[in-house]
Amino acid sequence: MKEKKVELLSPVGSFDCLQAAIKAGADSIYFGVEQLNMRTRSSGTFSVEDIKEISSICKAAAIKSFITLNTVMYEHDMQLLFSILKEVKLQGIDAVIAADFAVIEYCIQLGIPLHVSTQANITNIEAVQFYSRFSDLVVLARELTLKQVEHINKEIRRRNIVGVSGGLLQTEIFVHGALCMAVSGKCYLSLHSQNASANRGACVQNCRRPYKVTDTETNEELLIDNEYIMSPKDLCTINVLDQVIASAVDVLKIEGRSKGADYVYVVTKCYREAIDAVADGSYSAHKIAQWMKQLETVYNRGFWEGYYLGRDLGEWTSQPGSVATEKKIYTGKGSKYYPKIKVGEFVIESGTLKIGDTLMITGPSFGMVKEKLETLTVNGIEASIAVKGDKITFPFSSKVSAQDKLYKIVENIHG
Amino acid sequence: MAKIIHYRNKCIGCGICFEQQPELWRMSKKDGKATLVKAIAKKEIYVLAIGTHIEEPTREMAKACPVKIIKIV
Repeated sequence: MKEKKVELLSPVGSFDCLQAAIKAGADSIYFGVEQLNMRTRSSGTFSVEDIKEISSICKAAAIKSFITLNTVMYEHDMQLLFSILKEVKLQGIDAVIAADFAVIEYCIQLGIPLHVSTQANITNIEAVQFYSRFSDLVVLARELTLKQVEHINKEIRRRNIVGVSGGLLQTEIFVHGALCMAVSGKCYLSLHSQNASANRGACVQNCRRPYKVTDTETNEELLIDNEYIMSPKDLCTINVLDQVIASAVDVLKIEGRSKGADYVYVVTKCYREAIDAVADGSYSAHKIAQWMKQLETVYNRGFWEGYYLGRDLGEWTSQPGSVATEKKIYTGKGSKYYPKIKVGEFVIESGTLKIGDTLMITGPSFGMVKEKLETLTVNGIEASIAVKGDKITFPFSSKVSAQDKLYKIVENIHG
Repeated sequence: MAKIIHYRNKCIGCGICFEQQPELWRMSKKDGKATLVKAIAKKEIYVLAIGTHIEEPTREMAKACPVKIIKIV
């Protein structure tokens, strides 16, 4: 029997990102709605009304869709939660990702497949066995080593632990994206400093700021090598993906529902290619170097392999925010499309554009497109430069709308 | 007279405003967000005039909002 290929699960925080994930080859996507998901503050979240469209887009693309409902839940959330779940059931979303028992209970009542969130911090086989009574898949804690992941997967097979649908219980791990300085779901820094609970999706990211340590008795500043003493680098496993897949995990998940379509596209595409390369035996150091270079172009805080290789936590970032090698500068938005000649019109709202510039265009109907500006027509006349207020046209294969955003890609130089 | 302005659509439903001033707020069972009782709504922005005697505790309550969507003017 042919071994089933591992599934690639991408984050989606907007319709742009959804199209980007599909185009880049995701097998499945996950998204959040309203305020009951872990990216409430940082992502322009979807509403209940969007569930229908997300589901139909995913079904048309033959990929699975999962909804995250993984915050701490209060009494007053129950009605909203129930109405979201009824819509999830009606629209045929493939599963709910949750950790709170109220969500689990409602999923059982409504007969909705459940995936147990990383917020549940599953770190051992007994916990896996416990959750198998309610779910078909568990997301393992990000703090495990690959050996521990492999052991859990072996035990699932040895004990023949099945999920509610009757199939062998599946496991999922994060392979790329931001990591918490605390055990996921157990951080109260943001709550203490700003009364903003990370576990209600309102994290203010105190850990991402630089800090100084001062001895209050002597007022002496203590020497530390790096002011970003609480900000871990981002997880990246593309260089060890063969080992990750060998751990017999079923689903590889990418973090980043707050990130742009460019991030979703590039990261999904690299991991898609890497998974395929591991499967066909062409996974190589040369390919890894190429993927790493690609991954470095989009939002990242520097990379390490997380806890999977058993390393001590010590990979701290040295920059505020991203160290990506490329930077996107917002330049304008879509205004018109000429379908017969396949030309798009965009209005420049900030900065300038010239022939030879690399453009990135994001939009809800096509996701993300990156291309070099070969020809430029400004207000109907061929030109070499466009400035604020100009209407520019150039060949573009997808329909352009006012929701589309035009960016200029420049090299990101770090000080 | 001071006014409370509540940008309701950005509410994450943590319930701290209701905890601190139950006389002014309710947690909506319908959508899980805080509702400023008796406020006048313009689109998704709710406004309520308050007496000076509760201005200070109301400012304290606004400070506690994790997403800073309650303003006192």
